[in-house]
Amino acid sequence: MNAIRALRSALTLGVLLALPAAAQAQFPNIGGLIKGAQNVKKLGDSFRKIGEEEEIKIGGDLASVILGTAPLLADPGKQRYVNRLGRWLALHSDRPDLPWKFGVLNTTDVNAFSMPGGYVLITRGMLDRMRSEAELAGVLAHEIAHVARKDHLNALQNGMRDSALGGFTEYVGGGSGGLGAAFKTALINAGKTMFIRGLDKDDEYDADRMGVVIAARSGYSPYGLVGVLQTLSATPDEKGFALMNKTHPLPVDRIDRLDRAMGTRLDAVSPVVEDLPSFGQMRAARATPAAPAQPVRRRPRRKS
Amino acid sequence: MVADSKHASKDHRIEVQATMRIAASVLAALLLSFATCAQAAEKGLIIRAGDLLAQPFIDAAKSAPVTANQPVTILERRGGWASIEINGQKGWVRLLNLRLDAGPARPAASSGNPLAGLRTGSSGRTVTTGVKGMDEEDIRNSTPDYGELAELDGLGVAAADARTNAQRSKLAENTVEYLDKGRKK
Repeated sequence: MNAIRALRSALTLGVLLALPAAAQAQFPNIGGLIKGAQNVKKLGDSFRKIGEEEEIKIGGDLASVILGTAPLLADPGKQRYVNRLGRWLALHSDRPDLPWKFGVLNTTDVNAFSMPGGYVLITRGMLDRMRSEAELAGVLAHEIAHVARKDHLNALQNGMRDSALGGFTEYVGGGSGGLGAAFKTALINAGKTMFIRGLDKDDEYDADRMGVVIAARSGYSPYGLVGVLQTLSATPDEKGFALMNKTHPLPVDRIDRLDRAMGTRLDAVSPVVEDLPSFGQMRAARATPAAPAQPVRRRPRRKS
Repeated sequence: MVADSKHASKDHRIEVQATMRIAASVLAALLLSFATCAQAAEKGLIIRAGDLLAQPFIDAAKSAPVTANQPVTILERRGGWASIEINGQKGWVRLLNLRLDAGPARPAASSGNPLAGLRTGSSGRTVTTGVKGMDEEDIRNSTPDYGELAELDGLGVAAADARTNAQRSKLAENTVEYLDKGRKK
């Protein structure tokens, strides 16, 4: 089994390495030339099959884009709490061994993001609206499901069909040369489009369905996510919800799809908790240092 | 004698500590129930026609029929069930058969409304002077921040840490199969 998997990995890697090289040999000016359906298909296939290390690198670049809009909350206690909870949930996904990293963003907007390779970001505005630890588990598990299913790679490959395929090897190798840099620019632009337009709607429904199971496996009520979707169902036009509403199906439709899938099927899963004292403690703890009261700078840096 | 009095003072100290701990947990419980009460009085709407049940079980006695878009007050959430009040009558419906009523727009977290802080049981953190939101333009104009990425990379915890923490909280691990899409109702 392992041998087969290793062989398959080796083959994938071989295809991956050979593909850009072959393409470059064929088309010296690769960036603008690869537009044929054949090559787009190859890029799509290879993108979903890239190695873990490459996926993490892509995820890091995309996380930097979101971090460029809002910095991490300067509260080590909350960051640690979210990382312990998130990692516990991720251990019950199909990709328990990714180097999962969770971060709370210092913005009042209500949203959560994930990136390839195990990056998950949740805004403080979202954290503030959680009723219980099971609700927070539901949100994190939904994002974990996107990563486990590689939904982002699906979305990115569409955005990158005309871009610098040939630079992938250089990008992965960390070179800052022309092709690698071109690939990175294309990746970041495709990432921005993905964050603005959202993932495939069906991928959202699928991540909801997978998320409730991950939460239940981890000892949390699978109905936590339902509670969050109810909260969202009552806030259609508030400003802080605009981006999330734009990038996701209507909360009521998501509740409806979950109802179809869940029914009472998960009611027998036991034991599960709705809440834990750790959630209230995390809530009650004052940020150290205190939340910024000074006017916000464009991109506040926490390291000085 | 000496040993006894030492013992006594130690016992006393332990007793005082225990009393303080109990007081602290009673206080925490009070605060928690206060927060729960404050957030429990939510207005909602029935999504699909069905039955109001006497208890939170699928085969419980039916109290009354409910129709789509009927307004309800949500009193409590328990697993897949919600305790509601509808037309002056109390009973249970499936949580998945409820949406919340948008009603008058609720204050955004940044408005500094004291109720917003109360609802979340937080300590005034929702009064967020000077912290900006995040919109489409922000993302389009974003310059990747690799300093923050380095910080994020440092936040991850080891699987063993997460396990120990979950065991401390006595979280169970359940075997649950993934769900298929199910049928349209």
